[in-house]
Amino acid sequence: MSSTEVAPGTSVPLSLFARLAAVPLTGVITALVVIFVMSCFLSEHFLTPYNLTIMARTLAFVGLVTLGQALLLILGELDLSLGAIAGLCGVVGGILMVQLEWNPWVAFVACLMLGTACGFLNGLLLVGLRLHSLVLTIGMAGVYGGANLVATKGVAITGIPSEISFLGKGAPWGLPVPFMIMVGFLAIVSFLAFKTPFGRYVYAIGNNAAAAKMLGIRVDAIRVAVFALAGFLSALAGMLMVARLGTAQPSIGEAWVLPPIAASVIGGVATTGGVGSPIGAIFGAAIIGIIENIIVLFGVSPYWQSVVSGAIVVLAISFDSISRRYLRRED
Amino acid sequence: MAFLEVKGIRKAFPGVVALDRVDLAIEKGTVHVFAGENGAGKSTLIRALTGIMSVDEGSIHIDGRDALADRSLFDLVAYVPQELNLFPHMTVAENLFMPFDKSGFGGPVLSRSDLDEAARPFLERFDIHARPNQTVGSIAVSDQQLLQIARAATRKKFEVLILDEPTTSLTTREIERLLGIVRRLRDEGRAVVFVSHKMDEIFQIGTTVTVLRNGRTVGHRAMKDVTEAELIRLMTGDEVRLDQTFQPEVPLGEPLLVVEGLGGRGFRDVSFRLRRGEILGFAGLIGAGRTELMQAMFGYTRPTTGRVTIEGHRLKLGSPAAAVAAGMLYLSEERKLHGILPTLSVRENIGISVLDQICRSGIVSSTRENAVVADVITDYDIKTSSPEKKIMFLSGGNQQKTIIGRAMVRRPKILIFDEPTRGIDVRNKVEIYKIMKKLAEEGVGIILVSSELAELKRCATRILTMHHGVTSGEFEALTTDSDRLIGAIIGSGENRHVVD
Repeated sequence: MSSTEVAPGTSVPLSLFARLAAVPLTGVITALVVIFVMSCFLSEHFLTPYNLTIMARTLAFVGLVTLGQALLLILGELDLSLGAIAGLCGVVGGILMVQLEWNPWVAFVACLMLGTACGFLNGLLLVGLRLHSLVLTIGMAGVYGGANLVATKGVAITGIPSEISFLGKGAPWGLPVPFMIMVGFLAIVSFLAFKTPFGRYVYAIGNNAAAAKMLGIRVDAIRVAVFALAGFLSALAGMLMVARLGTAQPSIGEAWVLPPIAASVIGGVATTGGVGSPIGAIFGAAIIGIIENIIVLFGVSPYWQSVVSGAIVVLAISFDSISRRYLRRED
Repeated sequence: MAFLEVKGIRKAFPGVVALDRVDLAIEKGTVHVFAGENGAGKSTLIRALTGIMSVDEGSIHIDGRDALADRSLFDLVAYVPQELNLFPHMTVAENLFMPFDKSGFGGPVLSRSDLDEAARPFLERFDIHARPNQTVGSIAVSDQQLLQIARAATRKKFEVLILDEPTTSLTTREIERLLGIVRRLRDEGRAVVFVSHKMDEIFQIGTTVTVLRNGRTVGHRAMKDVTEAELIRLMTGDEVRLDQTFQPEVPLGEPLLVVEGLGGRGFRDVSFRLRRGEILGFAGLIGAGRTELMQAMFGYTRPTTGRVTIEGHRLKLGSPAAAVAAGMLYLSEERKLHGILPTLSVRENIGISVLDQICRSGIVSSTRENAVVADVITDYDIKTSSPEKKIMFLSGGNQQKTIIGRAMVRRPKILIFDEPTRGIDVRNKVEIYKIMKKLAEEGVGIILVSSELAELKRCATRILTMHHGVTSGEFEALTTDSDRLIGAIIGSGENRHVVD
């Protein structure tokens, strides 16, 4: 493959870079591979089964939230309360299991339903009152986060029954259970996005909501459904984290607000809606995860960690933006 | 030679010729009206006259010199766009002089009192009822409109002022005030180009008029020598060529759609019937309420009164999903706004409307989808290098054909075409007429909203006219003479008909 080959009749010669950039996900996969390989050289502790297991597990929690957030962004919306939903569901789970002595499995499912209901409520408020999702969900994050503190007074609930702990801690063949669950939902969400009318409508609405309405698509119903789905996935992340820690920490989910958005954008999801894919967003989350991991392994001072990881995230996004510019020139 | 003279300019965009052999001569001390329907090329012409856009062919002379060679001459042309683009939270004076370095306030420190002082003469001259230190958001819309004109005056020593539909959001008294300013500028010896759809204004203020249609100048008249009917005839292109008509050649079937007493924003008390195999035309000027009526009928907006019945079943109002389920489809005049899904591929744009039909147990079947898409691309002759090409890279005509094809695969019973041929070249227009005719003959009921009388006469079996939100007449397309039709469109009383 040479970049100078030009098919007869092609007016604009395409460089190899431009041709590769035209394939979706090329940018994010290249960035992921480059960062992964670099990390292998930067630290001897990076490519060890122990470290990879840790990274996979960390990716699982943020990844579940990212799946929901990515779908919302594709829809042209955004939910800043997903982290708070995860935290609220986690502590409610703790209360149900420890203080009210519910069967852990029943409590687990109840909390997933609670998260779905929270997302559903967000969606309902959005379409019912025609609110802007950014402002609405900042407010709802306050409501869910506040309810969390009211319920726990800020104190972690310890003594989560051990029956469910394998959901968070288990790692048969070095594959953490939360990671496998996340991959399972990645498959489900990708299938929804590409192979069902529902998913295609999500893309259509994100592209042009007015046109989607004109086609007779039930725009509002789909919006509410995606918010509910994102709430469900966040609640799942929160519950798996409770299972992992063995305590229901009120602080669960605090770090799951902005990274999923950054991950989606790195992975090619447009904040303006209609563009991107769930798998791309997960790759984006993986990039962020590796960066954070290698910074720790490399012994960067904790004070500098967020400066370095932030800068690398900006670099990763620039890479995508530049490849997009090549893409446009081609057309 | 006139002060501003345009000869034979041409401007083509991919897939559409926006301006074609346009001539124009604008004299100082006159008000020159540009008339024409939406999409006739007025905005493109304005962009050429202000030097914002280059032209492919032709010449533009300003003050006797070649403006295409010396672009600084375009500084003599000031332009006030239709939509207000002011900074609402900043003061009148700040708005007037921004950007400050271009209006003599280049220092590092900006003195508000200096600004306010400098603003006073402009406010007086343009009759703006506001104090310099008021925020723009707190003054009347009419004053904002005048402020925009004044702002153009602070920046340029203009000799030609172009006002693009300056009165759309003004009341009658406010319009009077604006026209007063226009007259004063004219009497000072400047040329004012005035774009408006409002006939009474055009006749009140205009000295001369240039009519554009489909990117061409179709007439220059002195305002005192032209009648309203003649002007509309020029704008809408009423040359009926009966040798090429597209009326469906089948007997009409039973009523498909019955609309009774429908009212809402921009229209009221509209009743009509649409029968199977019929092409029902809706004529009227811009703002007559036709699009508003269609959108309400389709459920895109919610009507306040009345009912819609499709094949004897009452339609749930305010829900496009219900209308689509009942077999009605609406092809909007706003292709970009309501039609295409820009960043999705041609395949996805077509597939989206038939997903429920090509699913196998809830899963989209790619095989069936590709088959449907391939058929549409062939049947509607859509020029695209691949079904996977993003639709935003297709030409306007091909986008339109994609949207029509997408609607067709749903096999609608009722189709609303709202300005289907706007911005589309003649060859593709005829293609669209043929599609409408074929569909009507297959038993589809078609509503055709068009600003082109010729189009309505060539396609419609019956024409309803609308004026100020009510139906003002009903005509058999092939039998009625144009004068009565135009009379009903502009709302002269003696031509009013009672519609069932």
